[in-house]
Amino acid sequence: MMRFLTSLVLGAALLAGAAQAQNQPLRITIDEGIIEPLPYAAPNFVPDSPAAAEYAAEIARVLADDLTGSGLFREIPSTAYISQVTSFDAPVQFADWKAINAQALITGAVSVSGNRLTVRFRLWDVFAGAELGSGLQFAGTTDGWRRMAHKVADAVYSRITGEGGYFDSRVAFVSESGPKDQRRKRLAIMDYDGANVQYLTDSSSIVLAPRFSPSGDRVLYTSYQGGFPRIHILDVGQVQQRVLQSQDGTMSFAPRFSPDGQTVLFSLAQGGNTDLYAMNIASGQSTRLTSAPSIETAPSYSPDGSRIVFESDRSGTPQLYVMSASGGEATRISFGQGRYGTPVWSPRGDLIAFTKQSKGRFHIGVMRTDGSEERLLTASFLDEGPTWSPNGRVIMFTRETQGASGRAALYSVDISGRNLRPVRTPDGGSDPSWSPLQK
Amino acid sequence: MNVLSKLTVIGVLLALTACTNPADLGDGNAVDLNGAGAGAGSGLVSDPTSPAYFNQAIGDRVLFSVDQSTLSAEAQATLGAQAQWLLTNTDYNATIEGHADEQGTREYNLALGARRANAAREYLISRGVAGSRLKTVSYGKERPIEICSDEACYSKNRRAVTVLTTDLTG
Amino acid sequence: MQTGTKISALAHVTLVAWAFLGGAFRSDPLPFEVQEVSVISAEEFAALSAPREAPEIIPQPVEPEQPTAPIEQPAPVEPAPEPEPEPVRPEPQPVARPEPEPAPQPVEPTPEPQVPSEAPSLERPEPETVLLPEPPGKRPKPRPVERVAPEPVAAPPPDARPDPVETPPVSAEQGAETPQPEQPATAPEEATDRIEPEADPTTEVAPSRSPRPKTRPQQPTQTAETKPAATPEAKPAAKPEANPAPASQAAETRSAVNDALAEALAATEEPAAAPAPTGPPLTSGEKDALRVAVSQCWNVGSLSSEALRTTVVVSVRMNADGTPDTGSIRMIESSGGSSGAAKQAYEAARRAIIRCGAKGYKLPSEKYDHWRDIEMTFNPERMRIK
Repeated sequence: MMRFLTSLVLGAALLAGAAQAQNQPLRITIDEGIIEPLPYAAPNFVPDSPAAAEYAAEIARVLADDLTGSGLFREIPSTAYISQVTSFDAPVQFADWKAINAQALITGAVSVSGNRLTVRFRLWDVFAGAELGSGLQFAGTTDGWRRMAHKVADAVYSRITGEGGYFDSRVAFVSESGPKDQRRKRLAIMDYDGANVQYLTDSSSIVLAPRFSPSGDRVLYTSYQGGFPRIHILDVGQVQQRVLQSQDGTMSFAPRFSPDGQTVLFSLAQGGNTDLYAMNIASGQSTRLTSAPSIETAPSYSPDGSRIVFESDRSGTPQLYVMSASGGEATRISFGQGRYGTPVWSPRGDLIAFTKQSKGRFHIGVMRTDGSEERLLTASFLDEGPTWSPNGRVIMFTRETQGASGRAALYSVDISGRNLRPVRTPDGGSDPSWSPLQK
Repeated sequence: MNVLSKLTVIGVLLALTACTNPADLGDGNAVDLNGAGAGAGSGLVSDPTSPAYFNQAIGDRVLFSVDQSTLSAEAQATLGAQAQWLLTNTDYNATIEGHADEQGTREYNLALGARRANAAREYLISRGVAGSRLKTVSYGKERPIEICSDEACYSKNRRAVTVLTTDLTG
Repeated sequence: MQTGTKISALAHVTLVAWAFLGGAFRSDPLPFEVQEVSVISAEEFAALSAPREAPEIIPQPVEPEQPTAPIEQPAPVEPAPEPEPEPVRPEPQPVARPEPEPAPQPVEPTPEPQVPSEAPSLERPEPETVLLPEPPGKRPKPRPVERVAPEPVAAPPPDARPDPVETPPVSAEQGAETPQPEQPATAPEEATDRIEPEADPTTEVAPSRSPRPKTRPQQPTQTAETKPAATPEAKPAAKPEANPAPASQAAETRSAVNDALAEALAATEEPAAAPAPTGPPLTSGEKDALRVAVSQCWNVGSLSSEALRTTVVVSVRMNADGTPDTGSIRMIESSGGSSGAAKQAYEAARRAIIRCGAKGYKLPSEKYDHWRDIEMTFNPERMRIK
């Protein structure tokens, strides 16, 4: 508000000062706008049969959930429509959509033949009266309808925002049930929106903090199977797991893949001291990266693999540090009051998300990689463990409620701090890890 | 509950077979004799050689202050008595579990629990218990015993618990 | 609906030939791109996953004893048989259900080998990556290209407000969203705590929607300032009068923009009066009114962060009635971002110009010569979230 006013006044002064010649175009500068979801209309995709109509309705629902769920779009209810779309190839009546202030229009068609499902769509800029991008068709078996809907949403999202979508992605997490002191944890995986939950382990051992590989086909996690925390690696496709790192008398945890998927960073606790190691998955060779009496944990690679951000209490309280991927000197980057943990480098490389504890509250925040421009996005009794959406725009994390009936749940928030929302899971959930976009 | 049934089985087994090979605790063979609390299947508190005596009369746990892993005088006294007991009852080994309260990230608390468990282990070793008899494990904040979100509970959750074990398979 | 549910009972998906897309969207007249999304059918899935043994479960590695051995090199446990590059992912449980359906029946009983007993297999008959570019079912019909329908629309339906200043209930949605059963209070708190003293004290974390540009220079400054940590919504103070009453709005021929414009004019008159030369050019008040009017439709809420670093200069030829000539809008330069980002930024700017100008900007008709051609610089620097 204030900024707007000052700019207004400033701008006014500037403009007043600049005399304009007669035939010069009038020049103005717009430097304040509004930030609100873009209103769009998505009439049900035109079906070619009654069976297709059912898919069309389901697809419309998933599409709307994706787009409005991003916080960047707002669906105009169909009750407001002036005209309907009854043919995919008919000319669009832009005036009718302008009238209801739909700025984008999604039209589509769904056809079913046997178990083959084909979804086509086009995206229109209503006010410009032009198509954004070109028509796109997805074809597959009917079982894949949900992914097709996500793909349509991803295409719409990226054409309008200019950055990749994140809807056709999955999330590995820990499904939690039972009271706090008898919590049962199972490794699970689901679509980013909470659909299609599958369990990958039973609850006989504590499992913690799954981490997707960069290609989305493997998951690292920590399991107490065998009595001590050790890092396991699981092939998502085959649901096959094995112990990746184990050494008697030690505990290993907080694993994370390198960007090329060939190395695993992790913490090893031995004799009460926790340090960072990097292990080549193929050879099993580990390299020690830190050797300080302090706790070093929660490492995360930069997207180019050259640096590592991690948490250390070498200064007396847990803070964030960045060092070369090969170890060596580390530079502290967090300087606010409070304790910092679980840093995660964004896929774009520009930000680091973290957990912050300050004055008895927990926050999820982001900062630039040099520690500047810290911004806290959330606050609650206990928020922790951020993970980035594939496009670096959204952060999912664990929120645990207070007290004896405390429960863990997954939430997501836009990196602007807007659009905080719960992610639905069958039971409680914690430690989310977002996969890359599916291929 | 699983642990309970295991415990009963173990109790019976213990009665039948004397423990052997206490030195070598393979993963998965360690048995939690303390878990069920008040002497279930592990002897009477009045019997100073029983795990029940260890757990209750001596005290199987020591507490820590926030973020700390240093042992208070009280904790040292408890651990001193634990060491005595272990020196006498050599059929038992121990796994020391380190725990943290829920304030703090999962990863940090795991590391912190490891520190606490190690502090207790080092103390027992300093009092003569063979290091080979003592394992450590950290549960971080995963296994609170008190579930309120107040210091009253937190203070009990910041603990290192000496869990007696025995190796059944030898 | 049931079909949907039925189908989703399998839900499993595998590959898609995203490659097809190649990322580049050409904007030629309606080309069509096709992607194959291959999924495996129920039968296939069942066949795959049923009786097969999981290949083999690598048992716990045997570990050397010696607990206290110092470790520089944690022992390699075993060479990792790398999974093949693009494994399809069959689901572990044949009975996967689509929705948030709790499907907790899977593997519970198997304690030791943590692999679900019905561990599925890998082999999938379905051809991977079927890149067969399915011919578009119907050949895309050439489409009437530009159909600008500039004539103002008659009576918009009740719940569609042509008002560019329309206020989608964003905040309401948020409120509705967050009330989680056990945690009703969290959402409101968010905004409050966000601005922690030691954190970046700025307001970059904008409230759920940005306050609309206000017109009155003097008053609001303080208000906004003093309530940074107030309720998530700064809006009560922010936009009182810009919203005409719904009733009047429907009937009113003048759009809210014009109202705002008029207000802006009124408001800026005094300050402008002194420096502005009297004469043919627009007064600064008039220019500011235009600026404010366009600002109200310049929605950067759905722009990528890169597009939010991109400044675009857009030219537009105006009609004498104050409406923009939609076809004349061009991007004449951009800076700060890739061409892709510039395109998104330009599209948002174009939407702003067209949308808020639909009823005509309030510009003095006797000075048409001075505003027939306009170059607008859209600089999002202040709007970005970093």
